[in-house]
Formats: sequence, C-alpha cells, structure tokens
Amino acid sequence: HRAQTLTSVCLFFFFLRVKQTELFDRWKSLQICKWEMNVTAANLFKSTLSRCCNAPAFLFTTQKNTPLGTKLKYEVDTSGIFHINQEIFRMFPKDMPYYRSQFKKCAVVGNGGILKNSRCGREINSADFVFRCNLPPISEKYTVDVGVKTDVVTVNPSIITERFHKLEKWRKPFYDVLQVYENASVLLPAFYNTRNTDVSIRVKYVLDDFESQQAVYYFHPQYLINVSRYWLGQGVRAKRISTGLILVTAALELCEEVHLFGFWAFPMNPSGIFITHHYYDNVKPRPGFHAMPSEIFNFLHMHSKGILRVHTGTCSCC
Amino acid sequence: MVGLACKCPRTRLPVGASALGAFVLCWLYVFPAYRLPAEKDIVQGVLLQQGKAWRRNRTAGTAFRKLLEDCCDPGHLFAMTKQNSPMGKNLWFDGEFLYSFTIDNATYSLFPQATPFQLPLKKCSVVGNGGILKKSGCGRQIDQADFVMRCNLPPLSSEFSKDVGSKTQLVTANPSIIRKRFQNLLWSRKAFVNSVKVYNHSYIYMPAFSMKTGTEPSLRVYYTLEDFGANQTVLFANPNFLRDIGKFWKSKGIHAKRLSTGLFLVSAALGLCEEVTIYGFWPFSVDLHGRFISHHYYDNVLPDSGFHAMPEEFLQLWFLHKSGVLRMQLEQCAEPSLQSAV
Repeated sequence: HRAQTLTSVCLFFFFLRVKQTELFDRWKSLQICKWEMNVTAANLFKSTLSRCCNAPAFLFTTQKNTPLGTKLKYEVDTSGIFHINQEIFRMFPKDMPYYRSQFKKCAVVGNGGILKNSRCGREINSADFVFRCNLPPISEKYTVDVGVKTDVVTVNPSIITERFHKLEKWRKPFYDVLQVYENASVLLPAFYNTRNTDVSIRVKYVLDDFESQQAVYYFHPQYLINVSRYWLGQGVRAKRISTGLILVTAALELCEEVHLFGFWAFPMNPSGIFITHHYYDNVKPRPGFHAMPSEIFNFLHMHSKGILRVHTGTCSCC
Repeated sequence: MVGLACKCPRTRLPVGASALGAFVLCWLYVFPAYRLPAEKDIVQGVLLQQGKAWRRNRTAGTAFRKLLEDCCDPGHLFAMTKQNSPMGKNLWFDGEFLYSFTIDNATYSLFPQATPFQLPLKKCSVVGNGGILKKSGCGRQIDQADFVMRCNLPPLSSEFSKDVGSKTQLVTANPSIIRKRFQNLLWSRKAFVNSVKVYNHSYIYMPAFSMKTGTEPSLRVYYTLEDFGANQTVLFANPNFLRDIGKFWKSKGIHAKRLSTGLFLVSAALGLCEEVTIYGFWPFSVDLHGRFISHHYYDNVLPDSGFHAMPEEFLQLWFLHKSGVLRMQLEQCAEPSLQSAV
C-alpha cells in the first residue's frame, strides 16, 4: 500500500498543476501509513546538502569562516560590501557551535495556522533541538499546540524595525520578548541586505547590555546564497526563500531526524477546513515574495521519501 | 536673501555688493565692536575685592529674582512639562535659525506634570568645571547645600570628591557629549548607564530642543535610563526658557553666539533658590595667586574659541557677587570651623 501511494505521490509532484483537493486527498491517504525514516534516502540528501551548503561550517558567520578584514558580500545587495572590523569580528563565535548530525531529533516549527488546536506542544518539546521562526508567540495560550522549548529562534529585522523602532528608542520591550525563549540563540540575517545590518548588530548590544546569556548569531550570506541556489534548482522560484526553508535545510545537516510542524501553505487544512494564516493571527504576507506552496510541495515530497516528517494533523504521542 | 546673493557676487556684482554691505551692518549690530577687558585687569579687579567680607544682600537677591521671574519664569518654564508644553504645541529650537517642532503624543508622554522640585529651593551650589576647583578642598562645602547643580556630566570619581563634592541633584548633559562619548546611544548603552551612576538620584537636564540634531540623542537618554531602571531622571530644557535667559543676558551686554551651560544654570538657580553659591566659575588661565591652572578641574581641553564669551559672563557673575545676589567661591574653602562667617 505504502509503495503504491509513494509512487503516486511522486508522480503527482511531477505534475504540480493538479488541483489542491487532489493533493489533499493523496496527502491524507499517505497519512494512513506510519512514517518511517528512510536512512539511505536521507543520507543521500544530506550528502547533497553538505556539498552545496555545508551548514556545520557556514550556517553562521564565525571567526573561522569570516576572518578579520573580510569583505563580506551581502546576499541581495550584491554591490554592498561589509568590512569585518574588530568590533563586529569579536561578536562572532569562534567556530560553528554545532556539528554534523549532532542532534538526534529536531523540530522545525513554522508558524502556520495548521498548528492551531494540533496539541503538538509536547511532541515539539520532546525534540532534542527546536528551531522557531520570526519571534513567534509561545505564551501560555499557545503552548499546548506549539510547545515552549526553543534552541534557535530567528528574528526578521523588519520586525525590529516595525515593532521596536529599530532599537533606537526603548530596548527593554524587545529584550523582554527575547527572554521568553530563555536560553535560545537568536539568529538574524544581518548580511542579507544593507538595511538589516545595523539593527541586527544592535540586537547583540541589547543582549550584552542586559547581561543576557542568549547567544546572537548571523546567517552567513554565502550560506543563504547557496541554499537559495539549491532550491531554485529544485523548482522553488521566489524572490526569497522563506526562513522556514532555510532552517529545514540547516536542520537536515545538523540533525539525524527532522520533524516539521506548522508548515502548510494553504487556506484550509487537509480535511478542507479553513485555517488562519498563522497560528496566532491571520495577517497575510506580501504576495509574490515567498513561494510557499512550492516549498511545501518539496517538503511533502521529502516526507513521502522518508527524508523528513511533515506533521499536519493532531499529535497524540508522548 | 542675503545668503543667496552672496553666493553669486561675480555674476550680479551690484546686488552682491549691497548685500555684503547689509550683511556687515547686521554683523556690527549683532556683534558690535567692543573692547573686552583684559584678563589681567579682571584678575586685578577680583584681587582688590579679596579680603573684603562678603555679605548676602537679601534685597538685591529678591530684586534680581523678580527680574528673572519677569523675563523668564524659571519656576514654571525651567523644564519641559506637561503643564507648559501641551500636546500639539509648536516650539522653536532656540539654537537654530528657522526650525520648529510640534510636540507629539510620544514626546509629550516623556514630560513630567510640572517642574519636579519643591520650590523655592533653599541653599543651592552651582558647580562649574573650572580648573580653579582643583585642590580647592571645597567638596564638603558644596555638598552642604540642599541642592547641588553641575554642568555637562563632570567626573565625580573619588580623586575629585575632596574638591568638588559628590552630591548631585541636577546635572546638565549636552547632546554633543552623548554623540562623542556614547555614539548617540545607538550601539551599546551600558557604558553610559554606568557613567551616570555617580549622580545617584539626580535629574539629567538636557537641552533637547536647542539644536535639531540634539533631539534624538536626548530622547534616547530618556529611553536608556528608563530601560535600565536607573535612578536618574531626564528633564528636557525648555527652549523658550533658554531663549529668554539668552535675551536677558544679551540685554545686560553679553555678546556670544550662545551662553555657556554654566550661566544658564546659575540663572536658573537664581530664580529657583533662596541662596546661591557658585564654584568653579573662573575662565582664566591663572588663579588669584598667579599660578597657572588647567581649563577644567579634570582636564585641560580648551573649548572652541569664539563660541562662548566666558570672561564677559564672568564679569556679570562677579558683579552679582559684589552686589550680594550670589556668592562666588574663588579661594580655597576654609575648614568648617573657620567657616562660620559664611
């Protein structure tokens, strides 16, 4: 039964234009089989990633991969160059804090409305390492569905600009928000474009000023370029790939088993019931910026091949 | 108009020339040629007074306070408050030529309801940063006042406390210091917060609305101290008050682009306090005994020339000292036992 479904799903992904309902039906029938990791397929995929992207060495800017005096190229503002001076250099970690397949089971938590009422909190908390995107709320009313454990949380500088006045005014509110994630490391695309750099660097100063134990890391722009290029080759055409896709790509190299929660880019769940855009609000993104459905297709595809697991239903385990 | 014409004197010479003439006339009107008394003469004049017992002249003091109240109303206008600066009010920067700003909701919320002092204050010490304070031993006397005002975030480390004291109720901070020493508080803020800890529970008085470029850094001082739960509170100087004080001294014959912080502060003190004693106001390179002294009590960095008119300001203050309105401490401070005459 499983093999049959797999082939049909695979076939389906070759013809992406098929109707959403049909996709949902096939996805639902796939759920009948128990997901099992396909170690061979996973390892093959991971070795591809290690050749293109190499997260264990290049995910963050470090003192090792970005020596003093480096002229760092931005990801999008290709004419922009950032000179790594002493002040910035000393903010970088000596080396990447994680190594290949360090963590047994990782959870990458997207913010999709599909998480609402999923009761997946405990399962997420049971992972060895949890990634979250874009400062999501994990307050009490959400914990049943999304958990609290956080090891890495990304922050989009646009949030800092909009909600925290670029950290040029009060900073305590921002610090208080970060504190919710306890000892989680804060990850920022400081060298994505020139606008992001100052606010991202300011985050480090804020945490240092308030004597926080949380680490601040910056995505290496070359890593972002390589990941985008890889996924472009897989058919993800977007102005920019989403933070979620970047984290999943990194997790695949850093973890043995990768579980995705809250990744679902459709207005209804697989049973056809309408869901909100995020699990905490229903604010729609700018159209035409990310190519979410195409990213999700890839995840579902990888799920069917046993490379990673996509959770879209309710959790009952643990 | 003048500025425009001056830019192209070659193409339109007659206009340029007449504009230049007008400009010179304006210049002479604003800065008339006058003779500043030589430093030596001033020191000589001060020396003549030494030894004469100084007595507070209550009548003169009250009269002068009345003058200040009429021109500038320090008790009410000293700082930006919700009372004197309602939302939507338009204010002109006092240090700019043609810029104004409107008080919006966000800025308004940073102001206290009213001037946060118990007025009138009793005994006030206003401490300038002159090198004359070095080895003065005036620390104890300064601290004895009920209210101590200091200028421009001066260092108060233990090595100075014998000469300048350690108590502070109000300290001024110039936005330029925030820019130069603390990168406008755009990066790390800890160093700033630590550096103002010496002022304990004092007000930090900032001329936020004098120059356009000073507003953001001054507001940032407020945000920073609030974020850290610091003991210091920011008070924003009211540009109308600063302008009125400037006009007041101009009418008394001080010719400077801008008054020094010290004179602003002494003027405020004269309006807010019953008794004012000023320390460290001595803008000359030698002390009363002819010994060379540093510019500040903590360093010898000279200011940009031509911005302030310190000797003139000193003469005005010296005149107030002679008439008993305030007391100016220039000598070393006597031991407490010998101080009963004061």
